[in-house]
Amino acid sequence: MSIWAALAGGFVGTLILTTGLRAANTFNLTRIDLPFLLGTAFTSDRTRAKALGYGAHFINGQMFALLYYAVFAAIGYSSWWLGTVFGLVHGLFAATALVNILLPLVHPRMGTSQTSAPEVALLEPPGFLMLNYGRGTPTVTLAAHLAYGTIVGGFVTWPA
Amino acid sequence: MNDSIAAAPVRVDDYAELRDYAVIGDGRSIALIARDGAVDWLSWPDLDSPTLFAAVLDHVRGGRFFLRPDVPYTASRRYLPGTNVLETTFTTADGTVRVTDALTLPDTASLAPGRELIRRIEGLAGTVPMRWSIQPRFGYGAHTPHVARRAGVPVATFGAEAVAVCAWHAGRPQCTADSVTARFRADAGTRALIALPYAHQEPLVLPTRAECEARLDHTTTTWQKWADDRTYTGPWREAVLRSALALKLLVFAPSGAVAAAGTCSLPEELEGERNWDYRFSWIRDSAFTLDAFLKLGCAPEATSYLWWLMHASQLTHPRLHVLYRLNGDTRAPEQTLPLSGYRNSAPVRVGNAAAGQLQLDTYGELLQTAWLYTTAGHHLDADIARRLAETADFICTIWQQPDAGIWEVRSDPEHFTQSKMMCWITLDRALGLAGRQLIPDRHAARWRHERQAISDYVEACCFSERLNSYLRSADSDDLDASLLLGLLHGYRPPDHPRMHGTVLAVQRTLRDGPYVNRYRGSDGLSGSEGAFLACSFWLAEALARCGRIEEAVSLMDQLVALANDVGLYSEEIDRVTGAFLGNLPQGLSHLALISAACAIGEATR
Repeated sequence: MSIWAALAGGFVGTLILTTGLRAANTFNLTRIDLPFLLGTAFTSDRTRAKALGYGAHFINGQMFALLYYAVFAAIGYSSWWLGTVFGLVHGLFAATALVNILLPLVHPRMGTSQTSAPEVALLEPPGFLMLNYGRGTPTVTLAAHLAYGTIVGGFVTWPA
Repeated sequence: MNDSIAAAPVRVDDYAELRDYAVIGDGRSIALIARDGAVDWLSWPDLDSPTLFAAVLDHVRGGRFFLRPDVPYTASRRYLPGTNVLETTFTTADGTVRVTDALTLPDTASLAPGRELIRRIEGLAGTVPMRWSIQPRFGYGAHTPHVARRAGVPVATFGAEAVAVCAWHAGRPQCTADSVTARFRADAGTRALIALPYAHQEPLVLPTRAECEARLDHTTTTWQKWADDRTYTGPWREAVLRSALALKLLVFAPSGAVAAAGTCSLPEELEGERNWDYRFSWIRDSAFTLDAFLKLGCAPEATSYLWWLMHASQLTHPRLHVLYRLNGDTRAPEQTLPLSGYRNSAPVRVGNAAAGQLQLDTYGELLQTAWLYTTAGHHLDADIARRLAETADFICTIWQQPDAGIWEVRSDPEHFTQSKMMCWITLDRALGLAGRQLIPDRHAARWRHERQAISDYVEACCFSERLNSYLRSADSDDLDASLLLGLLHGYRPPDHPRMHGTVLAVQRTLRDGPYVNRYRGSDGLSGSEGAFLACSFWLAEALARCGRIEEAVSLMDQLVALANDVGLYSEEIDRVTGAFLGNLPQGLSHLALISAACAIGEATR
């Protein structure tokens, strides 16, 4: 169990998660685009937002990998399936609180249920389970986070 | 704006005339307030949510909040200048009282409720006995709430919803099982206040009186600042500004979507079946909407709307749905509510089955919207550019199909001329955007070829030499006011003989005084309808663009006079009685007014 393995797992996991979400986006399963959501917190230039967002997303991926590692270290056990469980919790937290509630509160261009005239949001709020971005969003997001967790768990455990 | 002429409010079978409604809102929802002071429509938390008050659709079950003198009275009203804050003045034999109504905008000075309706009552002269009653009915009247006092405040609850009744110097509220009622005397120089804070899936916030007073003042100044920032300086400025304020109420602030209207199932024909839910965003209105935002100096609203439009349509790409929910959802299943309907105009529908129709004109609207947006100096990112190009590719494959047309007829699909014209617009604007390197131009040759094919089809099959006009649909003998959009969106220039002839033919055949019928043919529904106001404004604009300025100005003057006493329009007007018909406030009517006023202003310069 090493911190470098966790960081490597976080990188690969974020790569897979991002690719999976992007593919789901292309196949019209969801409108969620996490790099875009993150990047537009910094700029309203859509192209620049996506570039910035990918960077921010990978940093977030590393931070969550370190969080996973801290829990693995605290309980003295790690495995790919425990990573999957962490991914499940992570995905549920992201869908119900992190992206649904916390992100709109700090995102300067995202609407919330409290946004009122004369303001107008540039980005619609995700809604419960991010369902505003399409009915397939909870499933796709959860699957992507399960993959992320499994990869981080697997990297931390491997090659022991 | 001056107060309207004082008149005694009239109700027939306990229903106010639709013309007697004013609207207030906060960018998330709207309320309709009748001349007699009754709030007969309010949907919370959002514009497309089920209602708390819907007496306009069922005076028995719908629920309402009335506030009025307890003796005979007349009422006049106005919006506070440059705001969506309504002021109603009641005059009785013994005194005068003024009521100020607003759905408040949150301020940073205090903890604001999730949603809030405030009614301020000021005694101006003498003494006026007042009476008020709140009958909340959650879920379109389906759920009678539980009313009880909490910390001394009457609170009505059902499920995850709660609304409190905070009253100061407005009598002692009496709670019954399902309502809150009180009487009080409004003496000259006194001020009472009633606030309805609302909570959805969160604890209620019970504001103090000082906070409510401050928030009402903040709401007024915020609206005034927004109105002051509007750049329009052309003719009919007051009507245009009121239309801008009405349109702003239809902008759903949390997402940037623009609803077609604020209500559902207000009838297009009394006791008829033409009762639809308009609390969705129609692609059909997108070009007019964006154009209006740009002309009024509403750049943030324009950008937000385009972003929302592209986000919402992403899941169905390259197909476009006719309409989308305000949160971007594509589902709008139509269902009938167990309400009697406005003056027995049933069924009362929520949702809209038109969502599943094929309407080819929507593709042209989308490309026209993008064209207008970029022409104003805005940029498209690579993803949006790619999708617009794919939309043009898609129209190349489907333009030959029959569709339901802009009027969403429920009869068999036809080859509607306006739909084909908008397919031509799709490809023409795609070529224009590609020519400016704003979207990929790989398929430009195909777009050019199909654009010519559409033009050949329209000119060969959709034009009558006898009438010297384009026709409603291929090989028909009917005219249609939507043909005017071919001119307004640029299918052909105003000096093109066939387009000029079409404007004259529509005027000759479909115009009746200031009113212009949409069409005279079948649409698959029983009964008839009133005059569709947007068509009249389109004709005024078309006349102006054709250089017939005097006719355009004359028609526009007549149309501006058709607004109700506070400057609002519904979808249609009864040609005989002048009564409003259909949902209100109607975005397309106000959009068409703005567009026509701007066009006439430009033509006269």
